Amino acid sequence: MDALDLPCITHLKSGKGATIALAEPGDGPGLLQFYRAMPEEDRLVLKEDVTTSDWLDRFLLKLASGEAISVVGKVGGEIRGEATLHRTFHGWSRHVGEIRLNVDRAARGQGLGLELARHLVKRAIDAGIDKIVAHMVDSQVAAKRTFEKLGFHKEAELPGHVTDIHGKRRDLLIYANDVSHIWSAMESMLGDFRPDRATR
Amino acid sequence: MTRTEIRVGGLGGQGIILCGSIIGKAASIYAGKHAAMIQAFGPEARGSACSAQVIVSDEAIGYPYVRRPDILVLMSQDACTQFAPQLKPGGLVLFEEELVHTNGNLPAQARTLGIPATRFAEELGRKLVLNIVMVGFFAGASGLLPYEAVEKAVLDSVPKGTESLNLRALGKGYEFGISKLA
Repeated sequence: MDALDLPCITHLKSGKGATIALAEPGDGPGLLQFYRAMPEEDRLVLKEDVTTSDWLDRFLLKLASGEAISVVGKVGGEIRGEATLHRTFHGWSRHVGEIRLNVDRAARGQGLGLELARHLVKRAIDAGIDKIVAHMVDSQVAAKRTFEKLGFHKEAELPGHVTDIHGKRRDLLIYANDVSHIWSAMESMLGDFRPDRATR
Repeated sequence: MTRTEIRVGGLGGQGIILCGSIIGKAASIYAGKHAAMIQAFGPEARGSACSAQVIVSDEAIGYPYVRRPDILVLMSQDACTQFAPQLKPGGLVLFEEELVHTNGNLPAQARTLGIPATRFAEELGRKLVLNIVMVGFFAGASGLLPYEAVEKAVLDSVPKGTESLNLRALGKGYEFGISKLA
């Protein structure tokens, strides 16, 4: 039993089945299609212009290097949601990963975003990440709720930190989930393990 | 009666006792055998010499101590120096090849198999799972226990939230062990 086994099928609230899978280079055209179909106002606060082939090239390079781990949610073979963990392998924040999550409007409220984020959090823990953060603006109520369900909490608020593509300034919220305690339990078990007192 | 004596040796903090416990648990709970384990470690939680004696048998175990190990699982040079001479002739030595250099103190016909378990654990994401890589290596190279039994014992032993990486570590060690036999 490996909880990280992907692809898997998850059932949305609508009753439809969605396939959750690790993003692969072959998903590139589908990802571009997904983002290009996204209304402009939904792309207001994204960090990058995800509609360009340049972005896709950079993204695929990051996937190959392991600096990005991405899962996609497909309904009827089409990408309806995408979540990516961005990380670096050097520097003082190498223990930190940032999750970016996007779900198609038509698929929102169905539990797809939560499933994508949940799988990605597990992948992040598995990859040795100690702290996971998610950036959002205050108007992203559903995103806040999704991450709170996964143990994230608001760690910081930076006023006027975000300029959307219309030039409007917004507050940036940083949600964080410190998952290092999970491995602390393993570490303390190795340091002083008593089988007769072992508990999970 | 088939009785297999196993000695796991290394340093406190490497998960030596957990390694022995998982082998014993896999044998006794999930593989229908009998098992006994004796643990020994220094006063420090980390860094001191540490070892586990595990007996796996098809019948009830009357004497739980290891006299002449059939299998040594070694994760430190000190453990190799101390336990290698006790190995049964023709016994099997499984060692972490970046931490242990087997020397001339092994008995005749000893079989030695090394694994870069620390590197594997680091590549998987956590050096901490070194001992689980070694458990997998033990399962693959010794063939003493079914993989499924060891897998269940790992799942039953590691903290919640760490299962996936520990299972990947187990699989990595197991496959490496199998490949060494081929």
